[in-house]
Amino acid sequence: MRKMAAVLLASTAAVLCGCHAYQRGEVSQPVPRPSAVLDFATLYGQNCAACHGPDGANGPATDLANPEYLALVDDAGLRKWIGGGMPGTQMPAFAKSSGGMLTDAQVNAIIAGMRKRWSRPGALEGAQPPPYAQTQTGDAKRGAQTYQARCAVCHKQTRDEITNPVYLALVSDQALRTMMIAGSPDIGQPDWRHDSADGKPATPLTDQDINDIIAYLDGLRNASPGFAGTAAEPQSGAPAR
Amino acid sequence: MPRVNGTGQRIYAWFERRLQLEGPVKEAALHPVPRNTASWWYVFGSAAFTLLFLQIITGILLALIYVPSAAHAWDSLNVLNHQVPLGWYIRALHGWGSNFMVAIVLIHMAQVFLFGAYKFPRELTWILGVFLLLMTLGMAFTGQVLRFDQDAYWGLGIGASIMGRVPFIGGGLVHLLLGGPIIAGATLSRFFTLHVFVIPGLLLLFALTHVWMVLKLGVNEWPMPGRVVRRATYVQEYNKLAHEDGIPFVPGAFWKDLVFSGAVIAAVAVCALIMGPFGPGGQPDPSIIQTVPKPDFFFLWIYAVLSYLPPALETPFILIAPIIGIAILLALPFYAAEGEKSWHRRPVAVLVVSFVAVAWGSFTQLGTVTPWSPHMSAWSADAIPAKFLRGASPLVRQGANVFQDKQCRNCHAVGGRGGQRGPALDDIATRMTPDELRFKVVTGGGNMPAFGKNLSPAEIEALVAFLDTLHPPNQRPAVNPVNEVYTSTHASGGEDVSAAPGAAR
Ligand code: HEC
Ligand code: HEC
Ligand code: HEC
Repeated sequence: MRKMAAVLLASTAAVLCGCHAYQRGEVSQPVPRPSAVLDFATLYGQNCAACHGPDGANGPATDLANPEYLALVDDAGLRKWIGGGMPGTQMPAFAKSSGGMLTDAQVNAIIAGMRKRWSRPGALEGAQPPPYAQTQTGDAKRGAQTYQARCAVCHKQTRDEITNPVYLALVSDQALRTMMIAGSPDIGQPDWRHDSADGKPATPLTDQDINDIIAYLDGLRNASPGFAGTAAEPQSGAPAR
Repeated sequence: MPRVNGTGQRIYAWFERRLQLEGPVKEAALHPVPRNTASWWYVFGSAAFTLLFLQIITGILLALIYVPSAAHAWDSLNVLNHQVPLGWYIRALHGWGSNFMVAIVLIHMAQVFLFGAYKFPRELTWILGVFLLLMTLGMAFTGQVLRFDQDAYWGLGIGASIMGRVPFIGGGLVHLLLGGPIIAGATLSRFFTLHVFVIPGLLLLFALTHVWMVLKLGVNEWPMPGRVVRRATYVQEYNKLAHEDGIPFVPGAFWKDLVFSGAVIAAVAVCALIMGPFGPGGQPDPSIIQTVPKPDFFFLWIYAVLSYLPPALETPFILIAPIIGIAILLALPFYAAEGEKSWHRRPVAVLVVSFVAVAWGSFTQLGTVTPWSPHMSAWSADAIPAKFLRGASPLVRQGANVFQDKQCRNCHAVGGRGGQRGPALDDIATRMTPDELRFKVVTGGGNMPAFGKNLSPAEIEALVAFLDTLHPPNQRPAVNPVNEVYTSTHASGGEDVSAAPGAAR
């Protein structure tokens, strides 16, 4: 009888050890439902990093880690683009209400995270930039001149890819505007104050300058390459290779 | 003591008088079988039978706690794993028992085939065996569904989409299987009923009949080259063999069965102890797309085969191949009821078994290593490597945006990240000219979808401009071999975006 009890005890102990060994390794945590994730790093890494770069910069799309950009745009502006996407561009809509996968709380978490991580107080050094959103339409002819005077210094005719009609067909006016006002440190585009050949402080671009340039660039757009597009004369786009 | 013995004997006699089982049991146990059937090759059938009982016992224990409802199944498995004492071990035994059972049934089948044991008069035994195999696989599949985690969910989804391809009645079949158009609570109830009542009931009935026939018809004699089966003479020859050079089934041949069954059970117990139960993986939720669902190992080969088939052949293959396979298995004992049993004289049989085994093994291996599902979040999560964007023109940068936004990345890796469904595109520009790239993107081909209608002309041009920059720094991009200058100077009709469309006309 004793012997049997001992054997029983020993084997139970062995099984229990196995049990613990197993539990240590493999406790299956419930995977959080994707809609419950509110951590900025995860949300940004899963949804935005591909186009805007792993740290908000150095991706093919807008530099979101640019403190000047974050000082320029308000939460409503961010919410509009992130939630609803930028129609006609590659910026997708993320809010569930627009067919995306993120809840409103998640969009807000992303916006708060962007500000917390990438904003810098005084990024504009007290200067008053042109408004983020366009309010008036510009004049294309004047814009052509302004472009020649202010942009072509860097975007020289030979490397003039900004005026490539196909490129322009893919970017929104807002993206162009953002680019001109806040600049894009990751690719070397100066902000509205430093818009000169060497990127040093110059006469800042005015709201009207920007509206004009956008009107000019819009005239160059050509959504269907291969078909006679707008009449404008892009002498542009010698291949960069 | 003798008094107890006497009582025992009297009780035994009371039952025996009424049941009268002693005769048949003794006859079954002691009937002579040919001496050479007492071989280690003949132990797989009984081991499968033993495993069936292990599955029944552990299954009953699991059913005490498992809740077959969509809302609670997953939780109840976690309760079993972590709260019920030894609950995890019962799950592990049941899970490993299932894997062992599938494996042993397959081995048993291969052995029976190679030993010609399906020939006259054992045709029906073989046919029941084929059904037993199908039911064992059915148990494995329905069991995997009861786990009701992500793998189960996706396995079921794929199973349903296979059924949905049946012409005309596909929709009805899916409805029948899932208890509705989608996987929901009713689905789980159905699979629970199948797994716990319907299939096991049939399985047990078939298995008992199968064993009954083995006892009645005698264990297949060891095949000798030249000893040919003929309907007219076989039974006589067999009886002669069993009586002249025979031993009683018990214990002569039976002890090997016992030892092997014991060893198999021990192996299951050890595997279960060391490797623990299967899953449950993440809870089933169609909104969790960042998963890599994998079916259990014996179904892996199907997925591998499917991912290598051109899409046009998928449906015919899925629907017709299983029917042909089963028909061949069922027809076999009628087609080859007589003749040589020995594998020495049946080279085709040996070739077939080796071929099936090798094919199955390699497809299973492929299914294990090939990522056959796209990587669903690559498009928004996997950043474009900085080296491909350094000094890139605005158009190329937009092309990279298109590449991500149109989810090319879900199937194509760049810089080691992204889906593996299609080839990595890091050096695609060295392999394809812009014209070829444009053609591939627009028309697709192979398992590559045609994107023609889903991309605007500007998007296509930007995409091609981006792809055309994907090459190692020191390697020239591919050029059109017919006319080297073509791609760089010929600028009509949008052939080359980077040249001015206006100037060309
Ligand atoms: C498939 C690529 C892609 C993904 C993924 C993506 N974006 Fe964008 N995003 C773009 C592009 C391209 C633009 C610029 C649109 C244009 O060129 O007109 C943009 C623009 C924006 C803008 C507006 C910039 C401005 O001009 O004010 C914001 C804000 C933004 N994205 C935030 C996000 C956030 C946050 C996420 C993740 C939830 C995200 N994006 C995911 C491609 C993407
Ligand atoms: C100090 C030089 C400089 C000046 C002045 C300048 N840019 Fe740029 N810009 C750059 C550089 C550098 C880049 C990144 C390289 C490239 O895209 O060609 C760039 C890129 C751009 C881009 C493309 C961003 C993308 O999507 O890839 C736009 C749009 C742009 N600039 C517009 C303008 C406009 C409009 C002006 C005139 C108001 C202007 N730039 C003036 C240097 C300059
Ligand atoms: C569903 C998965 C899938 C998606 C999405 C996908 N592809 Fe493919 N792609 C494939 C497969 C599979 C192949 C190999 C096809 C074959 O046999 O040629 C392939 C081949 C290619 C090739 C030829 C590669 C070579 O080495 O021959 C290119 C280029 C390509 N794809 C580009 C793209 C682009 C651009 C997109 C986005 C617009 C895209 N693919 C989207 C699966 C996909």
